[in-house]
Amino acid sequence: MSLKMIILAFLGSAAPVIFFNIDRKKLFYAATGGALGYVCYAYFFEKTRNAAVATFIGAFAVNIYSEILARIIKTPASNFYVPGIFPLVPGYTAYRTISYMAEGRINTAIVMMWQTLTIGGAVAFGIMLSATIVKYIKHVGQKTKKAFR
Amino acid sequence: MDIKKASEIALMAGEILLSNGAEAYRTQDTVNRILRSYGYAGECMVVADGIILVIEDEVNGEKITSMKKVNKKQVDLYRIELINSFSRSLMKEKPGYDEAVGRLKEIKNAPEFSLFVRLSAACLSGFVYALFFGGSVIDAFAAIPVCFVTYLVKVKISEFGFFQFFENFVSGVIIGLGTYLLSIVFGAVNMDSVITGGVMILIPGVVLTNGMKDIIYGDFTSGIARFFEALLVIAAISIGVGAVLLIATKGAVVSVA
Repeated sequence: MSLKMIILAFLGSAAPVIFFNIDRKKLFYAATGGALGYVCYAYFFEKTRNAAVATFIGAFAVNIYSEILARIIKTPASNFYVPGIFPLVPGYTAYRTISYMAEGRINTAIVMMWQTLTIGGAVAFGIMLSATIVKYIKHVGQKTKKAFR
Repeated sequence: MDIKKASEIALMAGEILLSNGAEAYRTQDTVNRILRSYGYAGECMVVADGIILVIEDEVNGEKITSMKKVNKKQVDLYRIELINSFSRSLMKEKPGYDEAVGRLKEIKNAPEFSLFVRLSAACLSGFVYALFFGGSVIDAFAAIPVCFVTYLVKVKISEFGFFQFFENFVSGVIIGLGTYLLSIVFGAVNMDSVITGGVMILIPGVVLTNGMKDIIYGDFTSGIARFFEALLVIAAISIGVGAVLLIATKGAVVSVA
């Protein structure tokens, strides 16, 4: 993990989200989310040497960040996690899968496909799990408020 | 409000959400919330390219079914946000039919970034991702013109309205061709990193992840359709790039031999 890569992750989530027509006031927060996700990913990748686990934790962190920010600014959380997971989504491995298939190297292609599915699943599962946790906390909070009224 | 008018407002909001890349459960939630705020209980089913809505009229016990098909597909976070705040505002005050439709039309015509800004963003993301996946600074600079031409051509083709596969195939061909020409002119260019930088602006990472999310939430019909849509786009890009590279390298071998 180096400062250069963190800056690249910051820019790498700020630039592509412009195609998705984000509100320009939220561009900075969105890019910060991307940098945060990459820092978590890189730290745990160094510790565990397992891309799926590291991606899972990175996506989890991104979504917790975006849910908190969504509560503060009152906007859908997808504004922040869509750009935030950009450095994590397996676009590159997905591309390599098909290009190996086109070259006829089926064994390498299948390994790559497995990686794509694992990492894509890790991203989706990280987001889903943290979204569920946030929903549950909100639910419990409302219940206790009612009980003490 | 009339039951037909309420369902029309709900479906219009749902259409904007679905055509701008919202998840199935969010679309379903919003349609139900709008109906509830006008005092109707409906059942709504969202599939990959359409919404089906059934409302029971309690006065005479009739069931009214309406459907909306969604053709245009893109990802637009700003419009999703606007619809979200619209459906939240309905909880406080209920605008009449004309006002609600006017506000939805306003959301449909919400501003976008100009072509110049989007082109600069394409160049910047090509530059960043060529470096991010281990390329040198030369590769990153080589990715800038490739991304510029690719994005420009892609936007122009999609204005014509061809089908998605063709659009992405041509973009892939341009990436491959541009990278190959640059690597001939400047020997130090590493083709793999430049292609990666170029491909990253086309890869539908959001559609892929949203598809996975839909599947995990249990909306299999729309989830699997989206997942395969993303795979098809990726396949089109890679086939375009691969075809050019194959012809270029094999052609070079033949001419030497």
